[in-house]
Amino acid sequence: MKFADIIALAWRNLRQARLRTSLTVIGVVVGVAAIVTMVSFGLGLQNNLLRDALARIDLFTSITVMGPGTDALLAMRDQGQDGAVNDNGAGESKGEKSEGAASTTPEPSPTPTRMLDDAAIAELQSLSGVRYVVPNFSFSNYVRFEGRTRRAFIGGAPQSIEYNPRFKKFLAGHHFTAVGAREVVVTERFVSWVRSKKKPNENRRRRPGGPFQMAPTRSEEERAREANGILGKEIVFLIPREQDAPPSAVFGIPIIDASSSENGDFASEFGAQYEEIVYRVVGVLKAEDGFDINNFMETDMFIPLDQAKEFRDANRDPMSRIGEFLAGDTGYQNAEVRVIDVAQVESVKEEIRKRGFRVWSLTNQIEEVKRIFLIVNSALGLIGGISLLVASFGISNTMIMSIRERTREIGVMKAIGGSDGEIMRIFFVEASLIGLAGGALGVMGGWGIDRLADTLANRWILKQVGQTLRRIEFFSIPWYLTTGAILFAIVVSLIAAIYPALRAAKVDPIKALRYE
Amino acid sequence: MAILEARNVTREYRMKAETVRALAEVSVAVERGDFMAILGTSGSGKSTLLNLFGGLDRPTSGEILFDGQSLEPLSSWEMSRYRLRRVGMIFQSFNLIPTMTARENVALALAFAGQGQGERRRLSLELLDRVGLLKRADHLPSELSGGEQQRVSIARAIANEPQVLLADEPTGNLDSSRAAEVMGVLDDMRLRDGKTIVLVTHDRELADRFATRVIRLKDGKVITG
Repeated sequence: MKFADIIALAWRNLRQARLRTSLTVIGVVVGVAAIVTMVSFGLGLQNNLLRDALARIDLFTSITVMGPGTDALLAMRDQGQDGAVNDNGAGESKGEKSEGAASTTPEPSPTPTRMLDDAAIAELQSLSGVRYVVPNFSFSNYVRFEGRTRRAFIGGAPQSIEYNPRFKKFLAGHHFTAVGAREVVVTERFVSWVRSKKKPNENRRRRPGGPFQMAPTRSEEERAREANGILGKEIVFLIPREQDAPPSAVFGIPIIDASSSENGDFASEFGAQYEEIVYRVVGVLKAEDGFDINNFMETDMFIPLDQAKEFRDANRDPMSRIGEFLAGDTGYQNAEVRVIDVAQVESVKEEIRKRGFRVWSLTNQIEEVKRIFLIVNSALGLIGGISLLVASFGISNTMIMSIRERTREIGVMKAIGGSDGEIMRIFFVEASLIGLAGGALGVMGGWGIDRLADTLANRWILKQVGQTLRRIEFFSIPWYLTTGAILFAIVVSLIAAIYPALRAAKVDPIKALRYE
Repeated sequence: MAILEARNVTREYRMKAETVRALAEVSVAVERGDFMAILGTSGSGKSTLLNLFGGLDRPTSGEILFDGQSLEPLSSWEMSRYRLRRVGMIFQSFNLIPTMTARENVALALAFAGQGQGERRRLSLELLDRVGLLKRADHLPSELSGGEQQRVSIARAIANEPQVLLADEPTGNLDSSRAAEVMGVLDDMRLRDGKTIVLVTHDRELADRFATRVIRLKDGKVITG
């Protein structure tokens, strides 16, 4: 018998018992809808967490290389080069950014033994698969803007921003025009400080915390207007003169902090000790949602890398100075290595690790998060799967009932030449049709539930928060979930049909045909 | 050579503790072109013999031969092919599928033989025409008389052109005029197409009227051959 005929026969059988078939299919629909809803919720959660990271492949081509921190070097000096150093915080700089990379804990790896200096940078640059290496460092320095002075975090940025996603989105203006230009690119953090003058009560806006940043809730136009207002203005860097460091810093406690210096006549107090360098604002970087490597958003402004290097030496903060005094040059805090291809991240990381540095990349975290979500999604799928399991008993029951009713028919089919295999196939096809129909309708049902829940949830959020950045998709139904759920429904139906089909095949035609 | 032969065939059924011997060392040979009637009361083993000939059952001992070849070594699948191609069965209670029309019932046998849709349609109508039921092709069995139903089942039995037709009390549920009609159709199959016919019946008169050979079974044994 041709397979098409078997399908036709199975279809006919199902249609003859419409009510029973429908009820059985509904069982499968409920099961599949439960699975789809559960798993799509898990996947939606995962997507919302990883969306920005996943959407931007450039985050995955980045490796952060860390040299030994000041304290690590101190420990090295004490304990010798075998490096039995407490790992905690060893890779983090205790320097300028004390609150620095604390939220992104580096994976446990051997304490770096190499110093991340210019020679090391050049060495990393020579590794195969590396596109570029940018030393990452920032320092804090007093700056004056429109008559106000504050201590600002200043970073060095490479002239070439071709591959650097950080410098891709400008709210206004552009990147430095030349390596030697006295030009500065500010971040929105700086913009909000500028704004704080006008609305003194609002100057402590919700500070972005942790690695996940939410974009300011102000409108794009408003932000652009503000940014344009700053463009072209002057920022004066107050560089301490080499010979006499301010005594206030020696004990490691800055006497004057950013907030208290707002109205004080700073320049007249320390004027003699500071040299003023005038920079011009050429660009305003746009703050973005998403994962913030190296607390990028905590930096107020960027100047060309080489200029930043020059200033760095003049701007060592007290801790660094003490560390340096004891340990010598500590090199850079860290550097960003960008690989050409995502696939090379692991091999390049291993290579760098072998050279005595600590490495970290986002892929570690992503893998971890994905692993957790795999467990969560499996658990959710399992819960949904239970209802499909229940449905499978319904399928078995339906099939057995149907075989009982059709025993005679099966006997006839055998008597006129139907083989056991053909009889079995008819029932398996019946079961898979139930699975297919239930699966397809179940996927649609799950999709419907998701849409409804999404709409209600978004409406609720709107009511609670008063505004939304964008519609949040709580559920995600990727194609593999759709096809997977349908296939799973079919497989479960087929499993449920094994016993009934075998029983049908074993029908003894003589007994079946013995007159009524 | 006999087209169908039973050699020392014994068929026992195990019924709980006791064993029932339905056939005891029966040897029967059906020649090509025969119209053989197997007579016997109920429980004589005549239906058992027919089921063995029809490949629905296997003997406990002895063997069934078709065209000189034993059915014993055939696998279950080969046995189903034997039923499909070599023999056609006709039953007392017609055994048509009640939800299928006359044409669909005939076409089902063709479908098992792997015939395509168009071919099935053409052949099934042709076969129904053979038994004089072309006009009733789209009727369900419940809409047909007993005689008509049995003729549909004959059409189904000859669908895949078997050489042998095995009829188990085909007229048992019919009145005498319908019975004669059905027997006429069977006889026609033999005369026109050279089919070999094995008829199981308890109706001696019918047997004498149509059969070329009559054997009697009693308590699982052939008493006249």
